[in-house]
Amino acid sequence: MGSDFYLQYILPHAGIIIKICRAYTNSQADFEDYYQEVCLQIWRSKDNFNQQCQWSTWIYRITLNVCLTYLKQSKNGDKHIVSDSLPDEVIDDSKAFANDEINLLYNAIKHLSETDRAVILLYLEEKTYEEIADIIGSNSNNIGVRITRIKSRLTKFINQVD
Amino acid sequence: MSKSIEQMWKDGFVNETQLTAPKINDLYNRKSQNIVDKLQRMFAINIKAIIGGSLVALVMFSLIGAPFLGVYICLLLVPLVLIAKRELGKSYQLSKGLSSYDYIINFNDWLQHSIAVYAGYYKYFYPLLFIGMAVQAVVSDAGGKIIGLMMDVWPTEFLLWGVPYYLLLIIVGLILIVARFSDALYRLDLNIIYGRQFKKLEELIADMQELRK
Repeated sequence: MGSDFYLQYILPHAGIIIKICRAYTNSQADFEDYYQEVCLQIWRSKDNFNQQCQWSTWIYRITLNVCLTYLKQSKNGDKHIVSDSLPDEVIDDSKAFANDEINLLYNAIKHLSETDRAVILLYLEEKTYEEIADIIGSNSNNIGVRITRIKSRLTKFINQVD
Repeated sequence: MSKSIEQMWKDGFVNETQLTAPKINDLYNRKSQNIVDKLQRMFAINIKAIIGGSLVALVMFSLIGAPFLGVYICLLLVPLVLIAKRELGKSYQLSKGLSSYDYIINFNDWLQHSIAVYAGYYKYFYPLLFIGMAVQAVVSDAGGKIIGLMMDVWPTEFLLWGVPYYLLLIIVGLILIVARFSDALYRLDLNIIYGRQFKKLEELIADMQELRK
């Protein structure tokens, strides 16, 4: 990948990629792998970008799709498509961000299903229900209901930990 | 907790420049860990391996005096190469820029179709391979000697191409067993390797479909 492409088209949106990849990984090494994979896939898919959506929306889509279908080699040689349901004891990047509240929030987000993680991340990024539905490929009428349910679960989790 | 999760998010990322992107190392030469790319690579390697394997089989069986079996196996492998090439071509049409649901569904459709096509061919491949090997065994010198010994122990007048009927029945029985279980064997093999991914994919699709209702 040309470094110009990375600097010009990916790096300005690195925040989006970091926020999403962090929600699907449990360690710094995994996070770096996911981040690099997303960059690789954005570069590979750039010719398919048809400008019907914003470049940032395109990046959201690629990042989520990569996170949902990433293959990770685990220690025992077993492979899986996405990050597994998170056992409580394996969270080893609880200091991934400088802000403790964000780390706590991410800890809670990682206990959600893959789809719910995508929904809540887009919501927190202030995407409208229509935009979320468009990126995920769902019905915008259900997004609001789902977000209410997810927020309730997150709040409950955070209150328990707090 | 006094803050809402929205406020926690805003406060936490008030200064986005603090988000440090990891270093990108040799990305151009990096092998993808995305499952679609991984399967594409596997299909491409598979095609080369089948071609190489069929040539090796041809040479090897010729050297041990069974050239027809070598040619036969080569011919059996030709459709497998054509199938793998066709399925690989279809996979290139999958775009990662679609919505997550469309992408996952497209990927799953392609995966299921490919599995069905491969399973359909393996249903015939395994029995036909067994038939070829059985015929070669029967017509070989060693096979002839074994048949001679069997005829000494269990003599019979019912022979077909010089093979006693009970041996033919055993061979036919084994062919039927192989044919009956070839699809299951192929799927068992797939499940051992990819079972966990397939289950995860099913759960993901079910969750997304619920969101679309």
